Amino acid sequence: MSTTSSESLKSNGAFLGRRIARADGVAKVTGRADYALEHDLADIVHAVIVESIVPSGRIGKIDLAAAQTIPGVLRILTHADALPLKSCPMVPAGSVMESFLPLQDDRIRYNGQPIALVVADSFDHAIEAAGGVRVDYQAEPAVADIDDPTARPIDVPGAPSSGMGRGDAKGALAAAAVRMEATYTTPREYSCPMEPLGTIAAWGTDGDLTVWMPSQWAEGARRAFSEWFAIPMEKVRVISPFVGGGFGVKVTAHADALLAAMAAREMRRPVKLALSRPQNFTGNGLRPAIRQNLTLGASEDGKLQVIIHENTSETSVDDDYVEGGAATARVMYAVPNLSSSQKLVRVNSFTPSWKRAPGEAIGAYALESAMDELAYKLKLDPIELRLRNYASQDPESAKPWSTRRLREAYDAGARAFGWERRSPEPRSMRDGHELIGWGMAGGAFPNVHTPGEARVTIAADGSVDVASSGADIGGGTYTILAQTAADALGVPFEQVRVRLGDTSLPRAPVAGVSQIANLLTGAVDKTARAAREELLTLASSHAGSPFKAKRANDFTIKDGKIAPTDGSAEAVMISEFMRMVGRDRIEVTRNTMPADKASSESEQRDAYDSFKYMGPSSATHATYAWCAQFVEVRVDEDYGTVRVRRMVGAFDCGRLYNPKLAESQWKGGMIMGMGEALLEAIHIDRRYARITNNNLAEYVVPVNADVPDIEVISVGEPDFHASALGGKTVGEIGVVGAAAAIANAVFHATGKRVRDLPITMEKLM
Amino acid sequence: MAKSAIADAGIRLCINGSEHLLQIEPRVTLLDALREYAHLFGTKKGCDQGQCGACTVHVDGRRVLACLTLASQVEGLAITTIEGLAVNGSLHAVQEAFIRHDAFQCGYCTSGQIMSAVACINEGRTGSDTSIREYMSGNLCRCGAYPHIVAAVRDAAQAMDLGEGRGR
Ligand code: FES
Ligand code: FES
Repeated sequence: MSTTSSESLKSNGAFLGRRIARADGVAKVTGRADYALEHDLADIVHAVIVESIVPSGRIGKIDLAAAQTIPGVLRILTHADALPLKSCPMVPAGSVMESFLPLQDDRIRYNGQPIALVVADSFDHAIEAAGGVRVDYQAEPAVADIDDPTARPIDVPGAPSSGMGRGDAKGALAAAAVRMEATYTTPREYSCPMEPLGTIAAWGTDGDLTVWMPSQWAEGARRAFSEWFAIPMEKVRVISPFVGGGFGVKVTAHADALLAAMAAREMRRPVKLALSRPQNFTGNGLRPAIRQNLTLGASEDGKLQVIIHENTSETSVDDDYVEGGAATARVMYAVPNLSSSQKLVRVNSFTPSWKRAPGEAIGAYALESAMDELAYKLKLDPIELRLRNYASQDPESAKPWSTRRLREAYDAGARAFGWERRSPEPRSMRDGHELIGWGMAGGAFPNVHTPGEARVTIAADGSVDVASSGADIGGGTYTILAQTAADALGVPFEQVRVRLGDTSLPRAPVAGVSQIANLLTGAVDKTARAAREELLTLASSHAGSPFKAKRANDFTIKDGKIAPTDGSAEAVMISEFMRMVGRDRIEVTRNTMPADKASSESEQRDAYDSFKYMGPSSATHATYAWCAQFVEVRVDEDYGTVRVRRMVGAFDCGRLYNPKLAESQWKGGMIMGMGEALLEAIHIDRRYARITNNNLAEYVVPVNADVPDIEVISVGEPDFHASALGGKTVGEIGVVGAAAAIANAVFHATGKRVRDLPITMEKLM
Repeated sequence: MAKSAIADAGIRLCINGSEHLLQIEPRVTLLDALREYAHLFGTKKGCDQGQCGACTVHVDGRRVLACLTLASQVEGLAITTIEGLAVNGSLHAVQEAFIRHDAFQCGYCTSGQIMSAVACINEGRTGSDTSIREYMSGNLCRCGAYPHIVAAVRDAAQAMDLGEGRGR
């Protein structure tokens, strides 16, 4: 099994499936890719947020006198005079993840909450003035975090407190011969894209709002602005052609975007608001701290009888954000009895948010750690235990899998890693003073689908333009859509230009849940085929056509040339043909809405600016991406330092549209998983419920020297239940299972089971 | 040295071979001078605190963090940014290698990575993968392109060696 096996998969075209370099590569290596804050607008002014330094209470007096004396200060907005805003419905019915609206009242919900906004002629003047704003607080007691003595777990409002499940979990546990119970905890984490959040907003004289912001979901942001400012959707344009990393935090618009637009309206000038790196940590989008209690019951021979998963996670004072971890447990193994329940703890924080593979990443960490513990208890090889519980259909829905090449992933990964040379006893492998640990874990990520829209234009010169508001957050949307259109039309890859991330283009839903590649390749393929049809209809029927054939399917288009399939005439370049038939363009727009809804504008809006149409990609089959990950760690026996020496990941993600780019995403996910296992944790000063490590030096993420050689292997095959062109989800599966594989390797090395991430040296001493 | 009133109020920067007279206060960083005043957005702001490497540029051929450098400190020195790396439209060997090895995803850290990589090669730090990893560790990449960055730097170092006919 080679890393390029997908290249030999049967594909219906010449470009999809190939290891083609990124279409946006030159722009990115020359510094020409235009990210959100990189637009010059005449008259632009700068805004800086002033944050609360207490976590709870009321704002007393705000003294602006000193700040207003700073040269260049134009305006300071506070709750006393800020524009009143309307709320936007939250996902799934709407498009925001937090109900909080800045500067609307004197209530303080969290440390770091925006309480004033300084606008000045330069960035430096705005920062200086922000430091001069004096605030009296009426502080009240706060709940700092999940472990705060005053924290109280509550049921999720609106959800059954007994949770969900199948079979008789209690009974099965009582009857189980072998039991394993453990609690796994994970800290608050930040996805930390390298491009900080920030926004440029400008209002036109006709009340039109244009916003440049990094967004995984331009249509969602557009809806949010429309609701917040009570203006029609048509009046809002969100532009986000390049996104400097998203990982969940840029799915929805946050307070920075809202404040920039508010200030721009107030000032009647374009406003640039760049959040500082510390403000990125204290203002939005952390994964909450989570406690997962897992109980496994099994027979003597290692057949799982029951899984009980109890999850408690943090949320904010105002909102009910749930990051559950049971999704992986529900589908990973053939276990007849299962129960999962969820509690929330309200803390004085902004509303938590998604970090790459929300639910799955932490869920797989707990489940796959527990499976490892069970394997030691039963004296079984961890892979053997998994194979004994292999689910041949979805244990949750009893539907067949669309494809599940997890067995092949275990095999290919184990072979590449050399797993059979592992000595099973903990602390039994060493190299001098270093203990060697080998660990493995599996993972699953669901395949969801939402409709999308695309426009394909064939220009007079034969070039092709593909347009969608969907995002490329680094996954490679630009590239794979060009590959898709090139294949569907029969033109060279280089002849296709793709435009993305602008709500003036045909609409797309969120680039999240790893869905955008599959849904947009489907939409572009459908649209490009329709454009081809139109071109060939001209070839067969137009008076100016040089061809005699009379049916559209009597033609082939290859390398940008049209020819009758029977060879009865010379091939003609598309550009030449367009001239002959007197057309300066062929433009086709299509969507992939269900047929009965395709013509309804309001249904389409729901599809693109809410989660209403997001659902499983197949009605008849359970569709998931799968992985098996293998890790070697070296642990210094004296100091407890853990180094990851090598990683192997075997993935079933269906057909790969571009293996080069898919491999990059898998590796990136595995590296983020390494951060979760060994490095990343938000620290909170409980006295002030304040995040203390709000920067990239103290919130430790993997650096180059932390990362070893990583081998990734594709074991997938095309899955047409999962998507129109046979791919499954790629973007998040890499992080799923990585932390467990590392934690299991650390146990194998040291004999010490650390159930609290990250595994830092003091926990091993 | 006598200065005109205009020159007094501004700073003269030599960026990618062109003179820029920028009306900026002494406290403005080189990073803000490039982005906000010279409108050269290729150099990225990832932290503004010297912690991520996204703002790496060359000053007289050495890599520096533009967010930790005041513009006024580098008056008269040769500043090279990512925009100045390609010559007459043909990409630098490191830029080419980054594309070939897919050494980026979102691209936001990439300008800094490439400027660091060029310097790392010139510093003679590319003798082994371990050395490349170490000397490229000042540049964070949250997309996790590190293994491909190492491959690209290794590859470009060899290409540059061959191109310049010097052994190591
Ligand atoms: S922006 Fe200069 S090091 Fe991060
Ligand atoms: S390519 Fe995205 S941060 Fe490096």
